[in-house]
Amino acid sequence: MEHLFTNIAQILTSWMVSLGLPPIWADLILLIGQWTIIVVIVTLNVIVLVWLERKISGFIQERLGPNRLGPFGAFQTIADAMKLLTKEDIIPSQADRWIFMTAPMLFIVIAVMLYAVLPLGQGMEVVDLNVGLFYFISLGSLSTICLLMAGWGSNNKWSLLGAMRSVAQMISYEIPLAFSLLGVVMLAGSLNLSEIVTAQNRYWFILLQPVAFLTYFIAATAELNRGPFDMPEAEQELTAGAYTEYTGMRWALFFLAEYTNLVAVSALAATLFFGGGQGPWLPSWLWIIIKTYLIMLVFMWMKWTFPRIRMDHLMSFSWKVLIPVSLANILITGLGIEFFRGMGW
Amino acid sequence: MIGKGLLKGLGITLKHGVEKPKTIQYPEQRPYLQERFRGCLEFDYKNCIVCGMCTKACPNNVLSFETAPIEGSKKKRLVSYTIDLQYCMFCNLCVEACPTNTLFFVHDFELSTYRRDEIKKVYIPPALTQVDAGGGQAELIPQDALEPDREAEAEAKRLKQLQAMKTALSKGGQKVLAKYVDTEEDAAVLANLLQADEKKRDKMAALIVDDKEKARKVAQAFVAKERKTQAGGEEK
Ligand code: SF4
Ligand code: SF4
Repeated sequence: MEHLFTNIAQILTSWMVSLGLPPIWADLILLIGQWTIIVVIVTLNVIVLVWLERKISGFIQERLGPNRLGPFGAFQTIADAMKLLTKEDIIPSQADRWIFMTAPMLFIVIAVMLYAVLPLGQGMEVVDLNVGLFYFISLGSLSTICLLMAGWGSNNKWSLLGAMRSVAQMISYEIPLAFSLLGVVMLAGSLNLSEIVTAQNRYWFILLQPVAFLTYFIAATAELNRGPFDMPEAEQELTAGAYTEYTGMRWALFFLAEYTNLVAVSALAATLFFGGGQGPWLPSWLWIIIKTYLIMLVFMWMKWTFPRIRMDHLMSFSWKVLIPVSLANILITGLGIEFFRGMGW
Repeated sequence: MIGKGLLKGLGITLKHGVEKPKTIQYPEQRPYLQERFRGCLEFDYKNCIVCGMCTKACPNNVLSFETAPIEGSKKKRLVSYTIDLQYCMFCNLCVEACPTNTLFFVHDFELSTYRRDEIKKVYIPPALTQVDAGGGQAELIPQDALEPDREAEAEAKRLKQLQAMKTALSKGGQKVLAKYVDTEEDAAVLANLLQADEKKRDKMAALIVDDKEKARKVAQAFVAKERKTQAGGEEK
């Protein structure tokens, strides 16, 4: 079971080579295949996630959540997706057409690109990049631009306000996010995600870096625009911020990308702090799915518990609390590493 | 400790998350209504004494009624009573004011209608009849209150007639029977027969009271049969 998917990939490559294809072509085709599978899985996963989120919010508020269509309302999100697909695509006449139209596509493309380096099991990353973590962080911050494009392109002041808020927020939280991951990188001595997983053979990094995990978790919540940091959307004040003017499938793309980002960030947390695919009995790819889902449940739980915080509090929390704390964490981690090295461990 | 409140909040949502949902899936599951639940306001015309306390009590002018004088009495009678439910706020003031518990709330809460005038409820009491209440006083009674009495009277009358007919037949009663057969002779034969046979006598009496036409036929059949048996006996 452990090597199920890697074996399939190997068999496919050797089969293609035996057909007379040059190995480089075989690799390329396999890459495209893996990529497509990831995109499909991620998209379908969103359906599950939306259902899960609605169920959880329902239970927390002592409601039932969707329960009419299918067992436990499981088909409700499929129906919703159908509805969104068939809706009219409205582009405001005064909108900046091209920017308006490309923003959601870019958003989802970036969100899916994050999965390129995530090890979804032992030896199951699409690309084994030696600067994987760096790639992940830099790509993640690109989505800010998409939100700004959406807000600007809509030519609507509330959208622009929402977009500006999200830019301010995401840039502010990018810094503690990166800093908090630095501690892990220092411990593992690598930016390669699968090497970081291997480095957690003995201890999960959450034990060595609890502060880093906390700052990462908080900063990631803000990066994801999820409650309690969902200022950019702030349905009650900004009517969904940058997404206000979007309808139908374009809006759904944003929605899709947000959940895709959620999965990516949770998977990264599982990889960096919870030993990735390591775990007893079950195959590694199953472990990472379980861990990712557990982390996502916590994200949802938090969203439906905490009230949205004020914009200025949000900013000062990042600059006055998170960044100093994560910086101190780096310092202490560095000192600790030097100390233990001096002790000869 | 920083974050204590946050953890407490998470604990609360977790607690509620595992609790049983409070939702009642309304059209399939019906809510439990308390005894004094105020659903639709209803009116029972039989008790109304047309005192007007309810209209005075209602702050929204929901209630109104029309009256007509009763002849030979200072009282009025109710012609129609209107509850315009769309303005009712279910405050219970009218119910408290009514001295005879004529107005009351029922548990029906599904009051929406397609048209605005459908929500207006108009009660028209059935036509009233004047009866003598004794002491020269006239009293009004709804017609349907009298209906069942009439039926009972008719039934009693019929029973009386039936009894009379039975006694007449048992004592002969040729004159009565002559109407149902062709000749005096036949009547005499029939009278003899009926005097002897109680079963046939009862049947004949009932038929004479209820259905004269059928009585004639049965009577003639009885006579014919009696004649035959007599004739057969003579031959032997
Ligand atoms: S319940 Fe209140 S508002 Fe409704 S009819 Fe009675 S007095 Fe008027
Ligand atoms: S208060 Fe009661 S008895 Fe008097 S008029 Fe109103 S409903 Fe009739």
